[in-house]
Amino acid sequence: MSMLETSGLTMSYGSRRGIQDVSLQIESGEIFGFLGPNGAGKSTTIRILMGLLRASAGHAHIFGLDCWEKGSVIRRDTGYVAGDVRLYPWLTLNRGLKILSQIHGRSLQSEGRQLAARFRLEPDLQVRQMSRGNRQKVALVLALAIRPQLLILDEPTSGLDPLMQDTLMVCLRELAAEGRTILFSSHTLSEVESLCDRIAMIRAGRIVEYDSLISLKAKAPRRIQIQLSPGQMAPADWPASVRVLWQPQHTTGQQATQQDLLSLPPGQLSQTCLLELRGSSGEFLSWAAGQRFADVSIGAPSLDILFRSCYAGDDEPRSGAVT
Amino acid sequence: MRGLLSKIVAEVLWPVLWFCLGLFVIMGLLTALLPKVLGNIHEVFDNMPMVKPLITALLGVDPGNQISSQLSQAFLWTHPTLLTLLWAHELMYCSRMPAGEIDRGTADFLLCQPVTRLQIFLAESIGWLVSGAVILGCGCAGHLIASAFVHPEMRLPLRSALLVLGNLAAVYLAVGGMAFLLSACSDRRGRAVGIVFAVLLLSFLLNFLAQFQEWAKSISWLSIMEYYRPAIVIQSGQFPWSDVLNLLGLAAITWTIALLVFHRRSICTV
Repeated sequence: MSMLETSGLTMSYGSRRGIQDVSLQIESGEIFGFLGPNGAGKSTTIRILMGLLRASAGHAHIFGLDCWEKGSVIRRDTGYVAGDVRLYPWLTLNRGLKILSQIHGRSLQSEGRQLAARFRLEPDLQVRQMSRGNRQKVALVLALAIRPQLLILDEPTSGLDPLMQDTLMVCLRELAAEGRTILFSSHTLSEVESLCDRIAMIRAGRIVEYDSLISLKAKAPRRIQIQLSPGQMAPADWPASVRVLWQPQHTTGQQATQQDLLSLPPGQLSQTCLLELRGSSGEFLSWAAGQRFADVSIGAPSLDILFRSCYAGDDEPRSGAVT
Repeated sequence: MRGLLSKIVAEVLWPVLWFCLGLFVIMGLLTALLPKVLGNIHEVFDNMPMVKPLITALLGVDPGNQISSQLSQAFLWTHPTLLTLLWAHELMYCSRMPAGEIDRGTADFLLCQPVTRLQIFLAESIGWLVSGAVILGCGCAGHLIASAFVHPEMRLPLRSALLVLGNLAAVYLAVGGMAFLLSACSDRRGRAVGIVFAVLLLSFLLNFLAQFQEWAKSISWLSIMEYYRPAIVIQSGQFPWSDVLNLLGLAAITWTIALLVFHRRSICTV
């Protein structure tokens, strides 16, 4: 049985888009990344999982229990940090731990104090006197203190300084090592890339990529930079496996972004071609061997390019997306 | 449930204490001062004719040209300051959850704890009943203590005071039930408070207009104030079962619908 499973999950906010046909499966002990730009449907999915929203179609189960019908049972062993953390102005960490201890029927004070020390939190400072980052830390400590089997984090690093982000990442790895499951939602690829085993990318309410990090990296595009020899013209015919982003002497059809152009050596634009390679490099290497390029460099597969390509363009998911 | 009650106490303790103090002082002052002020009410009636229908609307009976000691005590229990304080507490309390929680975004924190919505609603309702009992008790205590300093003829017998208090408690429940219902249906606390406030204002207005307008009289049964008539209770010495049952019926229906709505609705704070 999966720790968390959704199937055909659909929900709309009247005329506003929600999510459509979201199917996920997260196994026990896994750190699962949930990636997507703002407004893509990450928080809506999570809110359905936490029993805040009722899906209009499909089902969501955690620990094999229906998220809407058995929400309170599920939440006994599920920690959650909302995307935009809002806490009671009168709340202090100690008071929060006391209330949660009463709700959970066991003392969370000791665990909470240890976490407060790790996150450098003042336990008796009221939320109204805290910075945004400290409020985020309070929410994290309260969620982590219950030592949940499943931890659902919706953009948990927002507001945290880099050191605290590192502390959080270490905490999450420790939890995963203990066999606990983590659903980590973010719009920052690097966080997910460094932490997660598998990821799902959501765009415009639909899952557009859903695979292990290794598999996604394998199919992620690579950048190829070609240095032309002096006087050499850019080839007219390129192999089918590459997409030309930039080539000199062409005034139209250039697809390179500003970021791509900035990555090229200064003053070399007139002698450099920039390509994007999808799939195996074999065909391209055979073809390149027959050319008289001055230099060819092939970058590592970049999830960032995949990530950006998923979100680029119009608001609808690209066709043929993996679901 | 204990954790939820702790959270409620942390949130409302000080406002409830202030309301208790306010009602204690106001009821004491009104008990001591109203008989003196109302002794010369005929002069006010002569100079400002609109005052009499207003007092008639508040009392539920025509006071004539003189207000008796009984009616002056009845006026005390319908005094706008008393009702305003009581209802302000209710609007503040009953609109906190879920409308207030959604409005300020804390609903995520509360509803993602391992508690059912039924437990949350019951805990809120317990707080509402207890705080209402304490506030009404403080008001009554202020009245009883001040009564000791009033001329014996002007004092309201304890039994009559308790009968009126029972009727007022039923009004408290009815208004609270409505406030819970509006709060359960709304994502905005201000909207919920505004609608309940408008209903109460319309109740007053309808009761007032029923003194002069036949059409208003024919629909005055819609007004909550129609079921709170301390003057008649004091005069008859009978518990107003019919009025109280109507108010309790309204309270039970609105509270139950509020619970059902809250239990079934999606909560969205973004």
